[in-house]
Amino acid sequence: MIEKIELKGLLPRVFSGTRPGGEVWLHDIEFVRGTRYLVEAASGTGKSSLCSFIYGNRRDFEGTILFDGRDVSRLSIEDWCRLRCRSLGILPQEMRLFPELTVMENIQLKNRLTDYKSEAQIHALLEEMEIDDKSGSPAALLSIGQQQRVALVRALCQPFDFLLLDEPVSHLDSRNNMRAAAMVEREARAQGAGVIVTSVGNHLAINDFTPIKL
Amino acid sequence: MSCTLVTRLLRRYVSVAQTAGYIIAALVGLSIVLSAVQFYRDASGLFDSDTAMGRDYLVLSKQIGLNKRDASFTAEELASLESQPWVDSIGAFTASRFRASIGVDFAGKGMTTEAFFESIPDEFFDRLPDDWHFSPATGEVPIVLSRDYLALYNFGFAASRGLPTLRESEIGLIPLVITLTDRNGSRVRMRGHVAGFSSRINTIAVPEEFMKWANDNFGNGADAMPARVVVRVNTPGDPAINTYMERNGLEIAGDKADNSTAAYFLRVATAAVSAIGAVISALALFILLLSMYLLLQKNRDKLHQMMLLGYSPTQVSVPYVIFIVVVNAAVWILACAATALVSTLWRKALATLSVAPAGMWPTLLAGAGIMCVLSVVCIIAVRTTIRKDF
Repeated sequence: MIEKIELKGLLPRVFSGTRPGGEVWLHDIEFVRGTRYLVEAASGTGKSSLCSFIYGNRRDFEGTILFDGRDVSRLSIEDWCRLRCRSLGILPQEMRLFPELTVMENIQLKNRLTDYKSEAQIHALLEEMEIDDKSGSPAALLSIGQQQRVALVRALCQPFDFLLLDEPVSHLDSRNNMRAAAMVEREARAQGAGVIVTSVGNHLAINDFTPIKL
Repeated sequence: MSCTLVTRLLRRYVSVAQTAGYIIAALVGLSIVLSAVQFYRDASGLFDSDTAMGRDYLVLSKQIGLNKRDASFTAEELASLESQPWVDSIGAFTASRFRASIGVDFAGKGMTTEAFFESIPDEFFDRLPDDWHFSPATGEVPIVLSRDYLALYNFGFAASRGLPTLRESEIGLIPLVITLTDRNGSRVRMRGHVAGFSSRINTIAVPEEFMKWANDNFGNGADAMPARVVVRVNTPGDPAINTYMERNGLEIAGDKADNSTAAYFLRVATAAVSAIGAVISALALFILLLSMYLLLQKNRDKLHQMMLLGYSPTQVSVPYVIFIVVVNAAVWILACAATALVSTLWRKALATLSVAPAGMWPTLLAGAGIMCVLSVVCIIAVRTTIRKDF
């Protein structure tokens, strides 16, 4: 279980030698389990990079990331695999669905790994997002907005201490935004998890978040 | 479902042409190796077990001629022989330096004959009898006879004298009386028996303990150098052996030289053919490795995405591991069938020479071992590549 994520003097290597503004890069900040954070920034300032750094997907940064005081650079491949199944959930900006698999297969690819939700619960989540009728359709045939909703359901099919949502509603209308926010809020509260959401303007409609300017 | 999904995702881009190319190349390579090994094992039945096992025992003596009265080896000659690269070790024949006779009361007919004995170190016997030791207290002398002597008796002597022929197991039951005479003419009678037979040593052999005791007590006092030596050779049939024999005027007892040379060439030919098969197999492995690298490259994004979902490199490598194992198992089965088919070509010929073929299992298991090694190399390569992309 991860109670706290600390960033110490973090800076993407691409910004090396510069002093970008904001409250994240080159600062010491922490994310605490159970809290909601909204990381706001303009495009190109490194929101997706921040998610990737925390998720262990990229290591091209300076500074240190600590999970409960443990430097992530010392984590093994096996450690990361375990964390991605039990402690860290992510909805990447580019969704990363497999176009040749159906909606349900895409979700089950994750869920079978974590064995977290029943098929009925998955259908219920899809129903809530109004795409259960697409559960048998190949992901390639979905619109971007539909893909975003499927990717969100997939991200929720695991236990997590922190959920990273990289621009989760960038392609959703306000109605679906509300539904997505309610679902995220419910799942996160049930797990006592922290949520880190990035946004360029269209915020996930959750209340009571801590704003952070990147 | 998850395993099927992973397999479905990651097997995409498997090239049928590349897989077929690997199977054909590996099949040809492995079939050549296994056929060569099986041929060697079958044809080894043409030679005695020592030669076939890749070692040999040669009994050497000097060529005897009118001008060469002294047939003994000098200490320098023995040292020279021992220093040859093809020599593993040498053992000197110790000859009896006393008069001896062997008597037998056999089927109501008493027979006595003048005799001689020789001894060699125990390690040079093909099979040592259980009671191969001598103590002056008991006075019982075990003897190992050359099988040739038994053949001489059964097919020469016994037939012409109307005596019964004997089997090896029966001869050991016949009590012998050994009479030793010292240089002053006094005699000692001792009991003896034939404890075994040897195909390797062409003599009447007694334990070294007996020979030392008898030479000390009955010998003429001269401490003679050996006239025959037995050499354990580590490369039977090596042409260097014959060259050395000719240069130093030595003779090899029996037909060992020809036999060893044939066995040597059999080994060389087997090694050459196996090497060709091994090279083809190695090239096939490269085809498989390249094919797997290409497949991993094409599926790189998918592999990466799956590891982002939490799949471990081991889990995502499973479809490729199964693929490698199944393909290599198929190659092994086909190569086994090909080897069995090809071996019928020479087995008919060997049957006409009354040579029983060797079993096929060791060869087939060797093939399984080779395919296991190829599979392990490939699986390690796949896992290493996937981990690099984590």
